[in-house]
Amino acid sequence: MTANGPISSARPAGRHAPEAQASCPALEQGHLHEIHSQAEDRAAALAFALTQGPLAGAGAIFALRTPRRQRLPTLFSGDGLALLGIQPGRLTIVETRTEVDMLRAGLEAARCPGVVAVLMESEGRFVDYDLTASRRLVLAAEASGACILLLRGDAEPRSSGAQTRWTIKSAPSVALEADAPGWPAIEAELLRCRGGLAGGRWRLTWDNEGGCFRDADGQAPLPGAVVPFSRLRTDAGDDGDEQRQVA
Amino acid sequence: MGTSSDRSLDGVAPEPLALVARVGSALRLAAVDRQAVEQGLAAGMTLADARARCPTLVTRPADPVADAQALDHLLEAMRHFTPMVALDAPNGLILDISGCSHLFGGPKALAQQARAIAGYASRHAFGPNAMAARALARHGGSGGDVAALPVAALELDDGGLAALRRAGLRSIGDLAQRPMGMIAARFGEQAVTRLRQILGEAPSPIAPRRPSAPIRAEARFPEPIARTEDVMDVIEDLLDQAARQMEARKLGGRRFVIRLLRSDGARQGLAIETGQPVRDPAAVLRLLRERIDTMADPLDPGFGFDAVLLAVPRVEPLAERQQAMDGEAQAAEEGIVALVDRLGIRLGPDNVRRLQPCDRHLPEGAQRLLPATQSRQQLWPTEEDRPPRPLLLFDPPQPVAVIAGVPDGPPQRFRWRDRLHEVRLAEGPERIAAEWWRRRAGHQPGGAGKTRDYYRIEDSDGRRYWMFRHGLFGEETEIRWYLHGLFA
Repeated sequence: MTANGPISSARPAGRHAPEAQASCPALEQGHLHEIHSQAEDRAAALAFALTQGPLAGAGAIFALRTPRRQRLPTLFSGDGLALLGIQPGRLTIVETRTEVDMLRAGLEAARCPGVVAVLMESEGRFVDYDLTASRRLVLAAEASGACILLLRGDAEPRSSGAQTRWTIKSAPSVALEADAPGWPAIEAELLRCRGGLAGGRWRLTWDNEGGCFRDADGQAPLPGAVVPFSRLRTDAGDDGDEQRQVA
Repeated sequence: MGTSSDRSLDGVAPEPLALVARVGSALRLAAVDRQAVEQGLAAGMTLADARARCPTLVTRPADPVADAQALDHLLEAMRHFTPMVALDAPNGLILDISGCSHLFGGPKALAQQARAIAGYASRHAFGPNAMAARALARHGGSGGDVAALPVAALELDDGGLAALRRAGLRSIGDLAQRPMGMIAARFGEQAVTRLRQILGEAPSPIAPRRPSAPIRAEARFPEPIARTEDVMDVIEDLLDQAARQMEARKLGGRRFVIRLLRSDGARQGLAIETGQPVRDPAAVLRLLRERIDTMADPLDPGFGFDAVLLAVPRVEPLAERQQAMDGEAQAAEEGIVALVDRLGIRLGPDNVRRLQPCDRHLPEGAQRLLPATQSRQQLWPTEEDRPPRPLLLFDPPQPVAVIAGVPDGPPQRFRWRDRLHEVRLAEGPERIAAEWWRRRAGHQPGGAGKTRDYYRIEDSDGRRYWMFRHGLFGEETEIRWYLHGLFA
């Protein structure tokens, strides 16, 4: 667990998180992260989950879902995963009949050593996901160091033990030549960050050479919800920061 | 005793039959039946020659693998007569019937029964040792006299045989009268070895194939036991015994079957399968508990169980592995295999799957989901100069209503799930033709199925879709559009 430090220092400085990647905090290992999206934006949310976390390296990923609960019948596409730099062979796709089964299987996968990430997709209310269930997941993730990502489509945020909660939306891309759709672009909003400051919004575009999402060119964090500057730096008495905060 | 079987069926076929195989660039006869032999055909002849001699010849392609399997079955069947049965390559069996023949009414009666069981036309011979029996069965005439055998029975190469014939040596008997040293000097050491084996002067051991004992363990109780925990304790004990048996033979089980015999005669079965061969009792026990948890009606002991039987019907080689220096990575891998097994037993193996690439043309056929226990790890093939593929595919594709500017152009707006989407950007088409080579009439016009034109589009909300037009304008009366995927 990180202390009440600035978000930027909470980012692991590993080789998968170079400084130039994106200014939004990465999805840390050993925690539970919730990613909200609309059903149509599920691909964007998945791309964010798969590339912003510790999944980008190697190791097994367990993707769990309850097909009966999903209104849009979708499958992972191996070609699409490979484009995001994820070898499809790392992914084990588990389909359960009920959401309780999914939580149980996800918990078991999170406790298993060698599993890097557990990706659970839910849609709708997800009644069985309550504080107790989320706390169980958090404990399992902390014990094993796996990253648990819970994708919630068309759902109201609910209090839980998650480390971060995001909303992901597809964003208009920068058109390529001949009005072709450009590289994936998403809008990420940090709704909640345990031990940090929430409320940031970022516009991210896919960098195909680097194989990661980067801040959209020439765009500061979007206006909207105010991005507060970290208190630590203001305490340090940096004049520039102070001035900007006043402004 | 040697039984040499050739492959022709007992003379029911009115036409001569031969099996043909491709040798080099020519089709040659691999085996012939009795009628074909009578017509003057022999194995090794080219098919063209054989057809010239016998126009009514019926041919079938030779299948050596199936032949080997059939011979294996025959070998198992011959265990009826003696435990010492050996394969006599390429197409014979050697039975050691010392001390067994009187049980079947003498050697002749035994041979008759064996040939009846085999069901094929076959030749047999008795010999004092394996090599003599083999030589008599393959090259002998009616008598059992080794000395009268032709020198071909030595099975030397063509050069050696020609040299023997040039020297005027036609039978084994001729050769046996010469000094061995001279034969070795002129015709090679092998000739002497074979000769001495046929004459019985040198040993010709056989390597009988022994049936591998099935791995099983059982426990019978003087008093029936009823508590599930007690039963599990007994099963653990049985698994321990089985593990010791498997360890001695360097095997691991892929399938474990437990049978519980109740005191009132009812039987209950439990079976589990694993993705990797295992023999660790704790791992198997964990899977068994998982299986019991998922059963609709749990173990019903009634008045108690009398006996518990364990069998491991499917085994695979499992060598004892040395702990690698990076033991952690290995432990992680084993942990994942165990997890996949556990989830597979609880949720069904068809619900724990991995993506496998397929060499197919259509996007939905280019991958398939295989149960994780069967899938192989392989690199995903990537094509550089191909438009990108979406992250999620719709299965099945979603029909949409589309308005396109020009008949052949990209869509301008479309209606999906009761919402109108304005197309902001579009790229395409990427034309993917139907797989005509997979269809029966695919090479004929209109028989191949519909061509798809794929477009990558982005709507005004910034969502990117993969959409295709099913069929070409001018060929179809009604053109349908489908959404096939979602891009990030």
